Amino acid sequence: MKMRRTSPRNVPIVIATIAAMTMLCGNSVAKEPAQGETGGEAALRAAELKRFEANVTADARVLGEVLDDGLEYVHSNGELDSKQSFIESLTSGRRDYASTVADIESVRILGAVAIIRGKARVTVIDAGSSRDLHIGYTDVWVWKDHRWQMTAWRSARLPDSPVK
Amino acid sequence: MRPLNVMRRLLPLIALLAAPLAAAPRGDEAAARATILQRFEAALHADVATLDRLLADDLEYCNFRGTCQTKNEYIGEVRSGVLKYRSIEPVVDRVKLYADTATVLGRVSVTAVRSGEERSVHLLYAGVLAWRDDRWQLTTWASTIIEPQAETKSK
Repeated sequence: MKMRRTSPRNVPIVIATIAAMTMLCGNSVAKEPAQGETGGEAALRAAELKRFEANVTADARVLGEVLDDGLEYVHSNGELDSKQSFIESLTSGRRDYASTVADIESVRILGAVAIIRGKARVTVIDAGSSRDLHIGYTDVWVWKDHRWQMTAWRSARLPDSPVK
Repeated sequence: MRPLNVMRRLLPLIALLAAPLAAAPRGDEAAARATILQRFEAALHADVATLDRLLADDLEYCNFRGTCQTKNEYIGEVRSGVLKYRSIEPVVDRVKLYADTATVLGRVSVTAVRSGEERSVHLLYAGVLAWRDDRWQLTTWASTIIEPQAETKSK
């Protein structure tokens, strides 16, 4: 193929064009997953149940995978955790989930964002004694690095919660 | 070489670089923030028409009591006066954009009267906005109380 050298006087135009397009494409917007890539609702439900199980077993490896680095986890008592502080609280034993039984009521997937809403019966061990909570929760998941990751958790104790 | 020819030669490169723009959001971060703040303002003034525009038809609105409502149920409470906001002081902490979706995290202090009982609360909220009909619409709302209620008084 015959190629010609770009005239030196056109070099600034070339550079400016490439720079402009690179800036435009280099925005911070997360990409949409390809169709079928996310595994749909079943994959998301599985990730949610896996996460609840990892809370109980204090499995830092699994939690590292299913929690987003930007996680904002607000417990039903108003305590706020980041991903790092949440995992540390479990592995150190400072927070101890004896069991969690979740009832997922709604799953919605909007491209790279998904929302799960449900209720959960949670038993926590606090200073050697167990406490039972019944909570309503909403969590937000994002599709990053080819997997679902939870980025926000909001919960509230329901009126029939044994511990108010 | 004339500039026009340079541009012609660069067209394939431009097309390649511009491809991801097709997935770029049509609504930007500033508009997402504005939508959240407008919806608080509309709730404060019981502006049902604005709420109807800013809330998505498939809204799941989960309040700090753990109760979830549809768009119609929430607007119905505001319209009827069952829920009256006295003051709302919102802060938008973080907005993350996806193609046609945005996640919003923030804080808000609310004083409201529900069924005759006034209550002041401080909340951490999470919202999800969807870009539909050329505007951001709130499709998910959930909040948790982060401090003990400031006061409760029956009227």
